[in-house]
Amino acid sequence: MLRNANLQDLRKKIGGMIDQRVRAITAGLSLNELRALVRGEPPTEKPNPRYKVHTTSFLFHIRPRYYERGSTIFAHTFRLGFFTSFFFFVEVITGLILMVYYTPSPSEAYNSILKLMTNVPFGQMLRDIHRLGAEGMVIFTTLHMLRTFFTGSYKKERSFTWLTGVALLGITLFLSFSGYLLPWDQLAYWAVTIGTSMAEAAPVFGNEVNLLMRGSPDIAANGLLRFYLLHVVLMPFAAILVISIHYYKVSREHGISLPAKYIEGDVAPGVAKEAKTRIDFLPDLLTHEVFLTALGLLALVLGVTVFGYHAPLENIADPQVTPLDTKAPWYFWWLQGMLKLGDKSLMGIVLPTIIVAILVGVPYIDRNPHRSLYKRPLAVSLGLVAVLALIVLSYMGLPQYGIKTSAATRIVQDLAPQEGAGPVHLIPYNQLQSGVYEVNQSPDRNLCPEVDYGCPELESVFGSYTERVNNAINVGDLPAANAVMLIEDWQQDLKKVTFRIIWEEDEQSKTYERHLYLHRERGAE
Amino acid sequence: MAKETAPAAEGKVQVNRREFLNLAWLASLGFLTVNVAGITYLFAMPRFEEGEFGGLYTVGSASELPEINAAPQNHPKVKLWISNTDKGVTALYKVCTHLGCLYNWSDQDEIFACPCHGSQFSLDGEFIQGPAPRSLDRFVLRAVDPETNQVLAQADNGEPLQLPDNPNAVIQVDTGQRIQGQAHA
Repeated sequence: MLRNANLQDLRKKIGGMIDQRVRAITAGLSLNELRALVRGEPPTEKPNPRYKVHTTSFLFHIRPRYYERGSTIFAHTFRLGFFTSFFFFVEVITGLILMVYYTPSPSEAYNSILKLMTNVPFGQMLRDIHRLGAEGMVIFTTLHMLRTFFTGSYKKERSFTWLTGVALLGITLFLSFSGYLLPWDQLAYWAVTIGTSMAEAAPVFGNEVNLLMRGSPDIAANGLLRFYLLHVVLMPFAAILVISIHYYKVSREHGISLPAKYIEGDVAPGVAKEAKTRIDFLPDLLTHEVFLTALGLLALVLGVTVFGYHAPLENIADPQVTPLDTKAPWYFWWLQGMLKLGDKSLMGIVLPTIIVAILVGVPYIDRNPHRSLYKRPLAVSLGLVAVLALIVLSYMGLPQYGIKTSAATRIVQDLAPQEGAGPVHLIPYNQLQSGVYEVNQSPDRNLCPEVDYGCPELESVFGSYTERVNNAINVGDLPAANAVMLIEDWQQDLKKVTFRIIWEEDEQSKTYERHLYLHRERGAE
Repeated sequence: MAKETAPAAEGKVQVNRREFLNLAWLASLGFLTVNVAGITYLFAMPRFEEGEFGGLYTVGSASELPEINAAPQNHPKVKLWISNTDKGVTALYKVCTHLGCLYNWSDQDEIFACPCHGSQFSLDGEFIQGPAPRSLDRFVLRAVDPETNQVLAQADNGEPLQLPDNPNAVIQVDTGQRIQGQAHA
């Protein structure tokens, strides 16, 4: 039997069957073609099967067939749009995993995060990546928008793409903001309270919007559930829809804009032609994307490990106690800065509305057909002014700016903040030697002779305490001040640290003091 | 209307039956959207029960209120301070008008002081100093006769409530109606 069988025929037959299966799965790419793709060789068949997949495969039809060589120059796009969507996918995937352990109720939320961080392998890492990715997405969306503005890529046929981009900026900000509340710690609770209080400034619908979002006059169980649903259902759906529209325009209609130097003014014909040569999606763009994805993942993982980025978690939310230095998330500091400048409804609603209207209207306001930086000095200088204004306003939004805190409170808050970690928390436990350390009375060095190697961290904290109190005395903020740092044994493995400043004001003696308790096993806060 | 003008003379295409019907369908879709938006609004808008913050809250009888110019009464469940001055009784919303922090009563200085940014307010909620843009927000207050359920006195615009003579009158706060404090110059 075997002797009669024609082996060559059989091999051909099996080969054909495999090829058929492979083509069915890859929408027409044969095994040979796949190999040629990986090797970077030209297509093996005619018509070019690498273009055909863009019509026969769904996943490929939403990708571009090619980009023009000139538009792929790194210094033109900086791959900002790519990384924005990369971060979005990272957020979707890590977010879905985090949902496994998260419970959106005030009594459970904080505990579920604690459990995730301490009792789930890779839990803290995933949470850190999710948080870092969110910050990255906000930053890259903004940078992407600035790049588009400065290269003049929002003009003519790209004006609608710009509009969807503005929508995506809003969606990104709200995605990030709605996730802020979920850990249900003091940071989250009060940042969101301040953020939603800004909406309250709107004249007619402000209160209604606030009630709809919070589900009650203040943030409670309803509010947490609503923010959770917005964060995991509504906003991601909106983002996916608008990202698809935005991306489809780029990939299927107008492509990435060519840098102005290839299309405006005197361009040598050879250069222009070279800039317009095509770089095909298969294999060059795809492999480049794989490379960028690997780079992005590496950056995220290094960020949360080697560079020590950690998503913050403060004490559990207490609706009855507002911690000092409460502030909105950093991407809303500019708004808080504006709110300090004037009337709440003018600065909180009217001006932001105008800003959004201008952003939306940029392609229609700017009728200058040129794209080169040098040929639109007005637009570019206005753009630079806007960026500067954003930075200055953000600085003004900080709690340290324009808000009077008494000197004593400020000094103690900077050394030992009510929430989060300060210099005091970084003193190793064995250096917390019980005793009374009095500014200008105690020696400023050799504070603890009993400890081997001394106590440099304690001395440095006491040193800056001394320095700042003396500065305040000299300026006249703390007349006749008496400042003490007190360390006591409180329980086994627990020290109590007290900062107390007593000063004269209006012929009265005033006192400010703060206690904190530091445990031996407190780890890195 | 359309028939009165000269038909098709100016190159205008008249609305035919199909176009009219299709537009009608489209319009009905528009109405549906408005309906759905309205229903969503009503569905998502929180409703408040009596005694809960956002609904009607009973502070107690008139005799249980703090003395005139004494330290105010704290109602932590509903974010209220009840204060009593020569001008009458006020129900102050516990949240600072600056950026939403919770202020406290200082027995020593006899003022409300915000721990965040140092805004200060008097016992009746008037702005004294600090970054807050306006005086404290108040709630609508009323005094009700416990037997007849008759409203004896009501302060609708956040002004201090003049107490009726009846010491058993029940003082109620409508925590759903918050009146913004007066902005200062």
